[in-house]
Amino acid sequence: MDGFATAFTLTNLIFGLLGTFLGTLVGVLPGIGPALAIGLLLPVTLSVEPTSALIMFASIYYGAMYGGSTTSILLNTPGESGSVITALEGNKMAKAGRAGAALATAAIGSFVAGTIATLLLAFGAPALADFALTIQPAGYLALIILAFATVGTLLGTSRIRGLAALGVGLVIGLVGADLQSGALRLTFGNMNAIDGIETVTVIVAIFALGEALYIASRFKNKAIDVIPLKGKAWMTRQDFKRSWKPWLRGTAIGFPLGVIPAGGSEVPTFLSYGVEKGLSKNKEEFGKGAIEGVAGPEAANNANAAGALVPLLALGLPTSATAAVVLVAFQSFDIQPGPMLFMNNPVVVWGLIASLFIGNALLLVLNLPLIRFWVLLLKIPSHYLYAGITTFALLGAYALNNSTFDLQVALAVGILGYLFRRFGVPVTPLIIGLILGPLAETQFKRALQISQGDYSILIAGGFPKIIYAILILVVVAPLIWNFKKTFAVKK
Amino acid sequence: MDVPQGGSIISPQTFPYMVAGFLTLVGIALMFQVLRGNYGTPDGTEPGDEFQSADFTTMAIFAAAIAIHVVLLEKAGYVIAATISFWGVAFAFGSRKFLKDFIFSLIFAVLVYVIFSLGLNINLPAGIFDGITGK
Repeated sequence: MDGFATAFTLTNLIFGLLGTFLGTLVGVLPGIGPALAIGLLLPVTLSVEPTSALIMFASIYYGAMYGGSTTSILLNTPGESGSVITALEGNKMAKAGRAGAALATAAIGSFVAGTIATLLLAFGAPALADFALTIQPAGYLALIILAFATVGTLLGTSRIRGLAALGVGLVIGLVGADLQSGALRLTFGNMNAIDGIETVTVIVAIFALGEALYIASRFKNKAIDVIPLKGKAWMTRQDFKRSWKPWLRGTAIGFPLGVIPAGGSEVPTFLSYGVEKGLSKNKEEFGKGAIEGVAGPEAANNANAAGALVPLLALGLPTSATAAVVLVAFQSFDIQPGPMLFMNNPVVVWGLIASLFIGNALLLVLNLPLIRFWVLLLKIPSHYLYAGITTFALLGAYALNNSTFDLQVALAVGILGYLFRRFGVPVTPLIIGLILGPLAETQFKRALQISQGDYSILIAGGFPKIIYAILILVVVAPLIWNFKKTFAVKK
Repeated sequence: MDVPQGGSIISPQTFPYMVAGFLTLVGIALMFQVLRGNYGTPDGTEPGDEFQSADFTTMAIFAAAIAIHVVLLEKAGYVIAATISFWGVAFAFGSRKFLKDFIFSLIFAVLVYVIFSLGLNINLPAGIFDGITGK
């Protein structure tokens, strides 16, 4: 309850409001996502009170999902990966003149799911943190490896490419002085690289410059076609009747899949869509604009985002690109998410959770009436939009350390980001590898220091064994299964 | 690599070697995939879509705009560097209204400079305008 006292101070409310506004903005605009927005804002907010800044970031995180659904429905271009499914039915509804109902069920569904999921987060995260205190370094390492494996293999179209992206991230994370021995690794004599490659620079460059470069190379002449919104964004009693069950089912699917590292929001939204299609009495409407197909996935998407905050806050393990950037934000304020967070920084963490409730309510109240304004923003010419994104990305990369070396890194990573997109390599595993790689090494060394160099400690005890068993079950077994199948077909 | 003697049980080289091993394995697997004809599908397209070759001129202009920004930033100052890069990126994205774009770029760069450097206390190089801004 003290959290609400923290969140309800005037400054924090303003930052929360600013965050919901900016979040919706980046969700609506193509080419910018919440991860990039938070990365860009980090240098600016270093002088702000940590609680206020983190409240703003959390609001951006939630806000981007509301904005993403708007573009999915009105434009058929999902602003972020969790809204891809929404576009299936939502855009069909908009074309049939039911844009208002689609937008309303998306927004109210997001609110319902977000509120329930944040409640679960408030109870679940401290409980998980209590348990996490008993986890040994070897167990932690096992958890990180599980996160690597799921993020690497469940995203994108090709498992090998996901793992390759993870490996590249791990390598970038190695650059610089080794924390324990001070040995310089992969710096190639460059003095600027001793402190390592700045995580924020990589995130900003790969999302902003990489994306802009990719769009420039192929889609630059694509015209934006907005479906006009007729009437009010609201729904009838009939729509409501058809929506409330999908909202609840979506929440039930989205939240748990966010807590376990299932590789982002694609899986839960897709699952929810499948469930709604299976259960619906109006199956023939699916593919032509069924409201259940918007309500369920949107709720799943929001609940999933809240679920991802559970391992982030309680274990310090991010499972999506955006969660990874939020982790970096915490660290830049010298706050380490993980089991000790609820003990060491109760004001920050409870203020943050309370602000999620408030942010959710603000989003619902602000968005439905403001939808016309957001649609207007889509009319910004794309050359100015990308020029602006590029300018802010360069500014963010430079402002962190006032160093042109960071800008050179940004340009190089931007080109890397282009190549990733061109050859169908997912970007998120790279970010996860970059951020969790150093953490994995620390836990690895700690474990071996306890055992005096005996490697068997890595699988000693029940907890690591359980985690590795899950790893084999979820990731390795399907790989072997697939391999066998392709082999059998060839014979 | 210079490895300091003594200290920890685990050498700072151990973990990098594990990463290197992992990358080698993935690299070999990826090589086999590509040799079997799986070249990867570009983002935003489906397998089977008509192949669209990249527009390298546009990309080169874009990269050049950023490179100019990197070179000019500390020598000529933020406003000049950002004006040129904004203008260059707009050009790369197909805009051909040179004068309008230039004026827009200049206003944008000045606004960003004023807001961030004077308002938010982020140090951006004034460059040749050093002294005018009073910093």
